[in-house]
Amino acid sequence: MNTAHHLRIGPFEVFEPAQEVGEQPRQNGAQPFPGKLFVVEGIDGSGKSTQLSLLHKWLESRGYGVVFSTWNSSPLVKDTTKLGKKKKMLTPATFSLIHATDFADRIERSILPLLKAGAVVLCDRYIYTAFARDVARGMDSTWVRDLYGFAMKPTVAFYFRVPLETAIGRLVTGRDGFKFYEAGLDLGLSDDPTESFGLFQGRILQEYERMIPEFGLTVIDATLPVEVQQAQVRQIATAHLDRAKELRVRP
Amino acid sequence: MRQTYGKTLPGMKLSDLTGKLIVVEGTDGAGRTTQINLLKGWLEERGHAVLDTGMTRSPLAGEGIRRAKEGNNLGRVTQSLFYATDFVDRLENEIVPALRAGFVVLTDRYIYSLMARAIVRGMDPAWIRSIYSVALVPDAVIYLRIGVDELIPRVIFSRGFDYWESGMDVFPGQDMYENFRSYQTALLAELERLSVEFHFETVDGAADVKAVFEELQRKILRIMETDSRTEYTSRRLGELEASTQMKAEESWGSRPHRLRSKDLDLLLRSAAAQVPANGNGHHRAETNRSA
Repeated sequence: MNTAHHLRIGPFEVFEPAQEVGEQPRQNGAQPFPGKLFVVEGIDGSGKSTQLSLLHKWLESRGYGVVFSTWNSSPLVKDTTKLGKKKKMLTPATFSLIHATDFADRIERSILPLLKAGAVVLCDRYIYTAFARDVARGMDSTWVRDLYGFAMKPTVAFYFRVPLETAIGRLVTGRDGFKFYEAGLDLGLSDDPTESFGLFQGRILQEYERMIPEFGLTVIDATLPVEVQQAQVRQIATAHLDRAKELRVRP
Repeated sequence: MRQTYGKTLPGMKLSDLTGKLIVVEGTDGAGRTTQINLLKGWLEERGHAVLDTGMTRSPLAGEGIRRAKEGNNLGRVTQSLFYATDFVDRLENEIVPALRAGFVVLTDRYIYSLMARAIVRGMDPAWIRSIYSVALVPDAVIYLRIGVDELIPRVIFSRGFDYWESGMDVFPGQDMYENFRSYQTALLAELERLSVEFHFETVDGAADVKAVFEELQRKILRIMETDSRTEYTSRRLGELEASTQMKAEESWGSRPHRLRSKDLDLLLRSAAAQVPANGNGHHRAETNRSA
C-alpha cells in the first residue's frame, strides 16, 4: 500500500519514503527525525569551512535538499551579539549566553523543522564550538553542556584536527590581524593580538581533544590534502544517507 | 559571604558584597513597579543608595529582546535564553558592583519569574534551574501575590492585554482574554510552587497601595536591621572614598562602554550611602510617602 504523501515546506517538497525510517539504534539524545545533520568543528584555520562547502556542493549535485547554517547568524539575535562585541560588553558568561540564544533561534526556526521535513542540514560549527570556547574562557563545563541541552545530536560531527602551528600559519598569511574576542583578548592572556590568539586557540584545541571521546567526534586529519579529506568526508556522509528521506527542491 | 544557587561565574568574587539584594516578585499588574518606586524614595531618604533594576533593562540585550518581541516570532527556547542573557548582563555589571559598593538593590522580578515563564512555556525545569544556578541568593524575595480575578481589571484599565503577557505564544487560537486567564493562572501556579522552594515572603498584592507599602517597609526594615554593613562601615568608608575615583578610572580603562555618567554618580554616592541615616529623615520619609 502506498502511504506516501507530499509535504511542502517553503520551496521544498518532501517525498515520504515507502519504507519506515528510523530503525537505527537510538543513542541518548540522538535526533529521531528523518533529516540528517552534519556538522564540522575545529579551530580557526583547520579548513573545516572549505570541507563543508565541498560537501554541500556534492550533496546538492546528488539531488539532496541541503540547507546550510552558520554559527552566529540568527536574524533575531545577531545584532545583539554584534553590539556586545563592538562595544566589548561581553563577559565569558554573556558571551556564552548570547551565542546560545543565537543557536536556539536557529534550532527552533530552521534546523529542527528542516530535520523533521527530511532535509540534510549542514552546520559550520555546532555546540562543540561553544563548549570549547566557553570553557576556555573559564565557564563551568557542566553548566555550558546543560545550557545546550536542547540541541539535537548530529548525525556526524566531523572534527578537523590540526596542530596549532599549522592553523596559525594558514591564518596569519590569510588575513591582517585578529578581532578582540576572536583572539581571546578579553581574557588578558597577552596584549599582543597574535600571541593572545595563539594562547587562546591552544586552550580551545585542548578542549576539542577532550571532547573527541566524550561526544564521539569523527576525527579527520586536517593536515592531509584537501581532496583526501573530502573523499573521507563524502564516504562517511554517504554511509549515513542510505535511508534518508529525499527532499527535493521543486523545479 | 554571599552565595549563589550552585555555580559561580568566572571572575565573580562573592566576598564583600555588603549591600542588600531585595527582590520584588509578582505577575504583571501585581503592583511591583509602583511599590519599587515608593521603596526607592523611602530608602534614599533614609540615606541608602538604591539601585533599581528589572527585566529587559540590560544595555546588552534589552533592546534586542524588545525588537525580537515585536515580530511575534520569538521561539520559546530562544526567548528563555535571551532573557537569561539580559539577566546575567545586569547581574555582572549592575547588581554585583552595586552590592559591592554597599547599595540596596531593588530588583523588579528576578530569576523566579524568568523560571516560571520558561516552565509555563514547556521548558525543562531542571534545564532552566541549571542556567540560573549562577544567580546570587537574595536577602529577601517579596512576592506580591494576586489572583487572576483581581489582576484582570488592573490590566484592562492600565495598558490592556499584551501579546506576551497573555501567553499568545503559549495558547494559540484563543482570544486574548481567554489566553490571559489561562497563561496568568499557569504562571501563578508555578510562582506558588517556587515560593515554597525559594522561601518567598508573600504579601497580599490585592490590598491597597498604602497597606502593601507599609508591609513592605516593615519587612525591609527587618532585613536592614540584620545589616552586615555596619561592621564594614567604618573600615570601608575610608577605603571607598580613597578608591572611588580610582575604581572609576579603572573601569574607564578596561571597559569604557559600561561606565555611564549615571554609574559614576552612583559610585561617588556610594560612600555617602554608608553614613548611617538620621532618624528624623526617615520618619519624615514615611509620612510623606504614605500621605
